[in-house]
Amino acid sequence: MEHIYREIHRDPRFHELERKRGRLSWLLATIVTANVMWYVFATAFFPEAGFARFWGTPIGEGMATTWGIVIGLAQTILFIVLVVYYIHRANGEFDTLKDAIVADATRAAGDGK
Amino acid sequence: MNRPLLKALLTAALLIGMGASLGAFADAAGALDGVNKKAIGMFFVFVVISLGITWWAAGRTKSTSDFYTAGGQISGFQNGLAITGDWCSSAALMGIAALIYTTGFDGLIYSVVPFGAWPLMMFLLADRLRNLGKFTIADIVSLRMARVPIRSLIASAGLAFVVGYLIVQMVGAGTLISNLFGLQYEIAQVIIGVLIIVYVAFGGMIATTYVQLIKAVLLLSGATFITVAVLAKFGFSIDGLYQAAVANHPTKEAVMQPGGLLPDPINAISCGVMLLFGGAAMPHVLMRFFTVPDAKEARRSVAWAATFIGYFYVLTFFIGYGAVVFVMKDPHFLDANGVIRGGANMAAIHLAEAMGGDILLGFISAVAFATIVAVVAGLTIAGASAISHDLYANILRHGKASDAEVVKVSRYAAIGLGALGVILGIAFKEQNIAYLIVLPFTISSTVFFPVLFLAMYWRRLTTSGIVAGGWIGLASAVVMLVVGPTIWKDILGNPAPLFPYKYPALFSMTISFATMIVVSLLDRSERGRKEVAAFEDQFVRSQTGLGAEGATQH
Repeated sequence: MEHIYREIHRDPRFHELERKRGRLSWLLATIVTANVMWYVFATAFFPEAGFARFWGTPIGEGMATTWGIVIGLAQTILFIVLVVYYIHRANGEFDTLKDAIVADATRAAGDGK
Repeated sequence: MNRPLLKALLTAALLIGMGASLGAFADAAGALDGVNKKAIGMFFVFVVISLGITWWAAGRTKSTSDFYTAGGQISGFQNGLAITGDWCSSAALMGIAALIYTTGFDGLIYSVVPFGAWPLMMFLLADRLRNLGKFTIADIVSLRMARVPIRSLIASAGLAFVVGYLIVQMVGAGTLISNLFGLQYEIAQVIIGVLIIVYVAFGGMIATTYVQLIKAVLLLSGATFITVAVLAKFGFSIDGLYQAAVANHPTKEAVMQPGGLLPDPINAISCGVMLLFGGAAMPHVLMRFFTVPDAKEARRSVAWAATFIGYFYVLTFFIGYGAVVFVMKDPHFLDANGVIRGGANMAAIHLAEAMGGDILLGFISAVAFATIVAVVAGLTIAGASAISHDLYANILRHGKASDAEVVKVSRYAAIGLGALGVILGIAFKEQNIAYLIVLPFTISSTVFFPVLFLAMYWRRLTTSGIVAGGWIGLASAVVMLVVGPTIWKDILGNPAPLFPYKYPALFSMTISFATMIVVSLLDRSERGRKEVAAFEDQFVRSQTGLGAEGATQH
């Protein structure tokens, strides 16, 4: 197995895959963490901080629903959408590239023996 | 354990289970009104079906791979539902509703923040975990690290996690059942203990998976039904529901605003860190990634799980406020002093009765019971695999034990953990155990998350770093919990806590990460050098799945 690993490691496409997938993962993970921390900070610093104050404001005249509720629901739905988007990219584009890299490396390692 | 013996034991357990349930049924029928009969009847149906599945699963559970991971043959969709079953404990249904009932908006922090753990798990951990792992999370880390010290750390932390979580569930179950079914607390403990042992010891991961799956479907349908019933009362106007909640709650407008629950910013941030990172690294959930054939299916299971769990959390936005509207002022649900019967934890259950009468009450009660049984089963199998795979097979027997021996130890471990659960459940009866849920989440964010994250992402990590950081982090977490406000002041009765914060995760996780990094960088040993060198191959495997367990390679 080790020589196939070496072979894959030499393939520039492997590093391209790793960079692309890594960039997407980190971008999405940052979005999620920032959202969660916004929620936590809003709870922690309400009502003093500006970014938290409007969480307690109703979304319309005479309404009871606050921005906090809307944001919380929107975040929950956003997280589902991001997960589904990631799996779409990973199981499609990234896995196709990965399969090609592995197949070539397996063949190359077999020839080299 | 041979087949005829297994069948005989299973029959015996089945009869005991039925007997206990029937006995309880007769007992309750004599002393209490029809409500409890319906609940017990519905739970009885769940028990019979789940035992039937266990019977079927027992015939298919032969190797260690069957026992821990259902042979890696669960589909992404099934696994997604089963993960939903593992994740949504009774705390998710009753606890969040209770918090919204008392403190309003802030209760939703337990919906949104832990749910953030799901995308995080998907983007950073799931692929690599599936590609590197075999049965337990210790397998991943010990790929390039020293086996004995790593497994000792992870198995010990894992058992502390399981036992802490187990006590919370068992005590919660006992209290719930004495409230709902009119059963004696101790009898309830024994019924749960027997069921868990039967599911896990005989049916292994296959039976546990199906129990989780059924429970998830029941929980989702029950919560959907309550939500639809609540919204229907307002002509499906969400704002109508919230208007009524504001009118009914003693804090008025504040019930829709943040800021009531967590005492100060540091506690709030620490609690958020604990729920987010602890939630992303829970061993009984991560273990489920090994029950599917490859990384593709692992991702699919996360997508399904995130969809179901996210949907469930959306429902919590309505159920808690529904309880504020329909339970808070109804004398039927209040005691002589005007306080909610059975405590705020009963808010969701009372709401079910308010919405759908005896039938829905019975159904939701049975769902709550099934939920606890299923979560405890998931925890037990995680604990049993830590004992049999990490401690017995890899440390005690140096990886030389036969498959049959390891399966046997797993079954005994499941029996032992089930019995321990009952004993601890009875020992902690009527004690304030809410603080105990902080323990597993703190352990998870302090030990499992840093270890897994660094092992998969950071080349320079070495065994010495993990061992130092893991144990120091774990010790600091336990010490901060013990001398913190909950245990030191509230339970032990000291005038002031030595550590001011209820949630130590922010500090213990930082200590753990920092120690792991510093000690690894200082590590100049030959072993450490080899471990760093081995990162390259592990990295290729983690990215491609080549050489992964259960994967087809051509």
